[in-house]
Amino acid sequence: MSGPNDDNHTELSSYFFEDLLDSVIVDIASECHRIARLGLDHNLDEEEEELRLSEEACARVADPSYNGEMNSKYVVDIFGQAHPPVATEIFECMNCGRSVMAGKFAPHLEKCMGKGRKARLKMTRSSTAAQSRHSRGSPVSAYSPYSNSTSAHRLANGSPAAGEPYSNGTSEEP
Amino acid sequence: MRARTSLYSNPKPCKHLSDYKLRYGTTPFENLHEFIKAGLNGRARIEGIEVPRCSSCNGYRGRLYMCLICSAVSCLNHLGLHTQSGDRHDIAVDVERAELYCCSCGDQVYDSEFDGIVVSERVRDLPEDKNGGFEGVEERTSKRRKLKLDPGIEDDPKKARTMMSLGDHKEKSCYPSGLRGLNNLGFTCFMNSVLQALLRAPPLSNFLIDRHNHDKYRNKSGKNPCLLCEIGTVFHAMHSTDHTPYSPARMLYSWWRHTPSLASFGEKDAHEFFISVLNGIHDFSDKGQERNDSEDKGNCQCIARKAFSGLLRSDVMCITCGFTSTTDEPCFDISLDMPTSNLSFKGVTNKSVEPNERTCSSTLFGCLEMYTRPERMGSDQNFHCQNCRGTSGSLKQMSIKRLPLVLCLHIKRFSQCLSRRIILKNGQYLQFPFSLDMTAYLSSSTVRNRFGNRIFAFKCLNSDSSVAYEIFAVVCHSGILQTGHYVTYLRVKDQWYKCDDPWINEVDEETVRASQTYMLFYVQRRLVINFQRVSTRIASAVKQSSKG
Repeated sequence: MSGPNDDNHTELSSYFFEDLLDSVIVDIASECHRIARLGLDHNLDEEEEELRLSEEACARVADPSYNGEMNSKYVVDIFGQAHPPVATEIFECMNCGRSVMAGKFAPHLEKCMGKGRKARLKMTRSSTAAQSRHSRGSPVSAYSPYSNSTSAHRLANGSPAAGEPYSNGTSEEP
Repeated sequence: MRARTSLYSNPKPCKHLSDYKLRYGTTPFENLHEFIKAGLNGRARIEGIEVPRCSSCNGYRGRLYMCLICSAVSCLNHLGLHTQSGDRHDIAVDVERAELYCCSCGDQVYDSEFDGIVVSERVRDLPEDKNGGFEGVEERTSKRRKLKLDPGIEDDPKKARTMMSLGDHKEKSCYPSGLRGLNNLGFTCFMNSVLQALLRAPPLSNFLIDRHNHDKYRNKSGKNPCLLCEIGTVFHAMHSTDHTPYSPARMLYSWWRHTPSLASFGEKDAHEFFISVLNGIHDFSDKGQERNDSEDKGNCQCIARKAFSGLLRSDVMCITCGFTSTTDEPCFDISLDMPTSNLSFKGVTNKSVEPNERTCSSTLFGCLEMYTRPERMGSDQNFHCQNCRGTSGSLKQMSIKRLPLVLCLHIKRFSQCLSRRIILKNGQYLQFPFSLDMTAYLSSSTVRNRFGNRIFAFKCLNSDSSVAYEIFAVVCHSGILQTGHYVTYLRVKDQWYKCDDPWINEVDEETVRASQTYMLFYVQRRLVINFQRVSTRIASAVKQSSKG
């Protein structure tokens, strides 16, 4: 039912709403005017230029005819060398003295230093004294003054990431 | 790019405004100050005893301007009338916004003395904080303090020449020195990618060039190895004439001994490694002794701190009384959140997400803006204002108090899905610039913004740090974390190189711009001579477009 009262209400509401809206718009305009006049947006041009360059780059790279790298395999590097998928250099392990191949060094070192889960399981079966030898070490990240403000994303020490062949095995470290 | 002589320029007054000031000085502004009411959000208004109405039409809608000579209020429609009738009554003030307006020019005008009075109203009413608050009103100074560089860090042209000539040594390969592949030792691309970027940071590389005693602490047994020495070893290996890929085995070993909690076979977070290594350098200064962190927090002069350390400021403002408490915390980098709109579950499938149409906040500027945006902390946060005991909540705002020489920006692409213990990755494209201006994210800028961008020199917030940065390295990640891959793009003398474990190849600038970045490394432009060409290229492109 629309009577004269309802019309007035609608009119009044629009009336005041328009006032409020105008005021808000002018607020923003005034702020922007000040920013522009004071030169606070002086690098706007450079920012836009960078945006443009990035857009162009993405467009070019997405183009199927683009022959740049993007996950393509190279034949040689800038020095004319080719490299196998697993590094084949041989050197001496600084922990145990054995000869190791570079590409297999990390898993070797893990066992060699007694860090991995398998290595540790093996050790607890043999003796606990040997284990205490390796659990010394400064938990640097706990005391560091340079912590990140938010670290929710971080792989927390001790949280096993899914799919990893060896567990992180970090929770035992003091 | 225009050279800036101060944080913002004092705009030239129109002739009506200068005329007005000549005639009346600042007395009218000062008389006005008791009617200026400044709000907490930087807005200010003129409030008198009565409701302002236009003296011609008695209207109260729209913008009302009060003449600064006779105090007559007019609405926009009748402002012209007033100007014509009076004798040069052309300067007025917007009642709702406390902004000066020139009726003859028909435009808003700005005056530093007027702004100073507006700010002083706000500052006067503010409860003062011992830490970082305002110690009173101060006249705006036009001088700009030059940042004093540490003598160790480079402005020294001789050192810079050494650095550049190091690059020119290789007549054989004609590639710059320091480019060398790193062998993957078994899921260690996280380490390789960070090392490539780290060793390219100008302050660090200059420091390592000079270091002669890197063998001094090699034979320490029983104690933790010196990570700085190990990095020095890698650095010199990278600059040797041998081009076959280097195996940073000792580096891995030393790092594992130093950080046992991360010592295990398997892919890691590159950013975690980066922070861990910098902490390791910080722990061991040149003296080779272990440091007690609490003592040296303020005085440390290790190269890690010199090069990478900045100061992050956190302001918490009570919305009831405006009391702001400030804390400063040193940091090695800034971790930025990404917009969460396109976060897809990528934990188990290895499908790569197509880069979607870029939303407006999937730019680095957007992330930085989000980071320094005032955030409303609700009343459920148990906030008790120490000044007014109010509990209605607070506004928290982050800003950068002091910029580092080398700025590392970390994009938080990985997040832990708590329910499932799986690491999710946001693979969305993020636009980023090669030249970066950090002015807007400084504490001085955010504070100024809080006061409505008024022209005012806030004491203890002089912005004298260099804000212009150039990118020199980008660490990118592809795939999911557990089986993904890191590569680093390095910029050497305007040419980009891709460092993919042992493979070093030249790439186009476009490839880098379009890549999925994880960590961005910027260095202050004044530290790098050979990036001049790029910045002039952008500058000339800008000039071109502004002419046309």
